Amino acid sequence: MTEPRDEELSRIYRDAEGPRPAQRVDDNIIAASQRVAGARPRPAGVRFARRWGTPFALAATVVVTFTLTLMVFERESSLDKMAPAATRADRPAKVLQAEPKRAGQPETESPAVLRPIAPAPPVPQVAAQRDRVQQRPGESAAASKPPGTGQFAPAPEAPRAPELRQQTPQAPAAAPAAGALSESAAALQGASVAALAANRPAVPEAKERTPEKWLEDIRKLKTEGKAAEAERELAEFKKRHPEYRVPEDLR
Amino acid sequence: MLRYGKGDARAFELLYRRHRLPLYRFLLRQVGNAATAEELFQDLWMRVVNSRRSYEVRAKFTSWVYAIAHNRLMDFYRASGRASFLSHEESESVLEGLPAGEIAADLRLDRKRAVERLLAALAGLPDAQREAFLLQQESELSIEEIAAATGVSGETAKSRLRYAVAKLRASLRKES
Repeated sequence: MTEPRDEELSRIYRDAEGPRPAQRVDDNIIAASQRVAGARPRPAGVRFARRWGTPFALAATVVVTFTLTLMVFERESSLDKMAPAATRADRPAKVLQAEPKRAGQPETESPAVLRPIAPAPPVPQVAAQRDRVQQRPGESAAASKPPGTGQFAPAPEAPRAPELRQQTPQAPAAAPAAGALSESAAALQGASVAALAANRPAVPEAKERTPEKWLEDIRKLKTEGKAAEAERELAEFKKRHPEYRVPEDLR
Repeated sequence: MLRYGKGDARAFELLYRRHRLPLYRFLLRQVGNAATAEELFQDLWMRVVNSRRSYEVRAKFTSWVYAIAHNRLMDFYRASGRASFLSHEESESVLEGLPAGEIAADLRLDRKRAVERLLAALAGLPDAQREAFLLQQESELSIEEIAAATGVSGETAKSRLRYAVAKLRASLRKES
């Protein structure tokens, strides 16, 4: 189907002054076309990242923040458990709350804190006295062992100090006991001094006398009528010299 | 258009330079207002831009782009309450009443007056007939292509064009 153009009409129509669109319209259209052509279709990965990137970033931020907060809290609580005393010292408010309780209670201290012990000095005094006795010149260890000196054996004294220290926490109750201990220690000190004084001549005599001289002395005691003393000396002599044959007149 | 669909912006620019003036004149003669014509013109080309990926070669680009222009004009007519497309029967009666004849001799000499008369007569044509004449003059489409672009049968398009031409010639003769 063809319809021949009316060439005469067409010539008149073409002679009409051709209107043109405004320059800004041309610019807008060309710019829009170039803008759209420049924006190439994004790959699927980019589209996925663009769509889920922001939600994922927000979720990750929340998770990391929560984890860090939890870690900080756990660390703080573990530090509190590890060093409770230090933490209490660092917190004056808690100390202030604890002070009145201590004032009202009978003094009880933690086992780690020990106060100076009142009856302690006598013990070192006894020990010092014993040391002095042992260090005297001319006195052998064997001479210091006779029955009188057995009271100062170090073995029973060694546990005494810990015992005293363990009793110190009950300070009011322990005070009389400590006094008694100090008295007994003083008595021990006096007795030991007396024993030392009494034994001092016997020990050297026993050491210096010869068996013959000792027997002569016993015989003299017998002749002087000091039978009990003579018997005691003889028994001592037999202990010291069990191999020696005692004369018939002294048996 | 296919090149532009692959990202060649220069291809679009070539298309635009080739079709901008005929399309703009087509729209301006149809609506009679430069501002409205520019709005429709810009909207038309934006539709072309946005169709770069879905464009398929089914006909000439000219047919396709004038079809878009036609549809855009229909939207404009509906929005403005202007739907004065003449029926075929009415056209036939008008055509029968029109005296055939030559264009006046003085108008052949006075081209400026002839253009003024022609444009005035064109503005007075029914929208469908004017559209058919303008499509033939501006796009150089065949009757079949005009029919396809406007969505009517070939016979309808042919008769609209014949009535438009007859009226324009009559106006040129009568005025003289």
